[in-house]
Amino acid sequence: MSDKDKKNPGNLPYDNRPWIPPAHNVTAQLGLVKFTPDDTSHLSIKDKKVCQERCRRKFCTHSCPAQVYRWEEEEQSISIAFEGCLECGTCRSGGCPYDNIEMRYPRGGFGMQYRYG
Amino acid sequence: MNLGDRKPVDGNFDAIVVGGGPAGLSATYTLAGGGARVALIERGDWPGSKNMMGGLIFSQPTSEVVPGFWKQAPLERPVTRREMWLTTGDSVLKAAYESDDFGAEPYNSFTVFRSRFDKWLAGEARAKGAVIITETLVEDLLWENGRVVGVRTSRPEGDLEADAVIIAEGVNPFLTEKAGLSRGVKADSMALAVKEVLALPKEKIEDRFNLNEGTGAAYEVVGEITGGTPGTGFIYTNKDTVSIGVGIILKDLVTRAGAAYALLERFKAQPQVQRLIAGASPREYTAHLIPEGGYQGMPRLYGNGVLVAGDAASMVNAVNTEGANLALLSGRMAAQTVLRAMDCGSFESLTLSHYGDLLNNSLVIKDLKQYQKVTPFLSSHPHFFSLYPELASAVLKEFLTVDSLSKADKLHLITRLVRSQQPTKKLLKDLYDTWKALS
Repeated sequence: MSDKDKKNPGNLPYDNRPWIPPAHNVTAQLGLVKFTPDDTSHLSIKDKKVCQERCRRKFCTHSCPAQVYRWEEEEQSISIAFEGCLECGTCRSGGCPYDNIEMRYPRGGFGMQYRYG
Repeated sequence: MNLGDRKPVDGNFDAIVVGGGPAGLSATYTLAGGGARVALIERGDWPGSKNMMGGLIFSQPTSEVVPGFWKQAPLERPVTRREMWLTTGDSVLKAAYESDDFGAEPYNSFTVFRSRFDKWLAGEARAKGAVIITETLVEDLLWENGRVVGVRTSRPEGDLEADAVIIAEGVNPFLTEKAGLSRGVKADSMALAVKEVLALPKEKIEDRFNLNEGTGAAYEVVGEITGGTPGTGFIYTNKDTVSIGVGIILKDLVTRAGAAYALLERFKAQPQVQRLIAGASPREYTAHLIPEGGYQGMPRLYGNGVLVAGDAASMVNAVNTEGANLALLSGRMAAQTVLRAMDCGSFESLTLSHYGDLLNNSLVIKDLKQYQKVTPFLSSHPHFFSLYPELASAVLKEFLTVDSLSKADKLHLITRLVRSQQPTKKLLKDLYDTWKALS
């Protein structure tokens, strides 16, 4: 993410209406991928307050192709199902317009595995 | 970590390659073939296990790295027909090119599965003497006096030293950023691609795609499927599966709070697409980023003791959907540069600038330069993905519908239709801008 995007994401013409849950569910698709999850998450939210106060739309709940991120209304926070991460990097490359997600790769030998790819 | 019996006596490698994709494997294969002591480090269980692409490799660049690769490599089908589709709500305008020549040696392109192809290529590199280290994540570079001298892996005592490090880490440039060569990734130059592999019996594939036995088709689709935002769909035939996916610029997706899999569902539901994949059963769902920043999005390509190749260096020609072949070629050139540096006994930036020279004189940079204005152009002209497909479709429909109008009246009607949607001035400007963006 470039410096300019980081500094002023609120100024971009984003659709920042209130959050609605994604219309599709990718659970069945993810069932076709082999995962070897590590004990700890390779993904984290940098600052919860940004999700609560600045990001109305909860963009990551839509942009992540594996639906790793879910908005938990009760907890008022994003939950992270890192076990089903496809390691694409969307969340660190603009999938969160507030650049509020820290993504690393899982440890060697962990994470997803494609049979076809 | 198990280095087998090939661990060099003094513990040092001539070169370490980070990442077992097309760029890294091509570099490793070339280095090992040139007599270098080389180790490839891959974080997945095998080189290829984390890799994904739509599915086309091109024969000529691939055979520059591995001559006659088609005799042994795990390939799906040689592509004998390419089609471009412009879709609107319920119609498709198609342009097709078909050649039987493409189905015979030396071929033009093949559909492949990266996970299988890369595993094979890693085996070829190993046979040449390369050390392939898997299940190992490279976390950082080792530095000495402003020079990269190796890598730090996640393993205990996992530091590995080498005279040169080739970063072929793929689209997420963690190390390239750490090397100070990249200033980070921009959302407007990244495309997100999602793909499904759908199983379909061989005979059905050949029947539905109108193919000779064993040959394949590749369709690129523009229009309605990405909801009018710059993006494409693709359908590729494999042996007994079909790969179907969509790619969309991440910024456009996020701006609309859209979801890539929703676009894929919409694409699959398009009637003309639905007929091709009816009854097929899902085998795999994959997602990957594509660096479409082109020439403008490229990082610095080398520094002291370090070179960057492939997706990590943003070497993708989005217009011709070529990435893997640029990765293969750049990996090879990075390796050639390191081999030359070994002869010189110097791995400073100045010596490694040979890599830049090789790239500049190759189609890698020439093609990327040629199209450097295209991605920004398409982003600023979203109507190319909505208005023009619809207009083209409407014009053809009018032209092909036989009714009581005379042909002269029909022509008049078509002209009026076009002008009502897009004034002549704007149309001419778009034509001119397109020509400028491509030339």
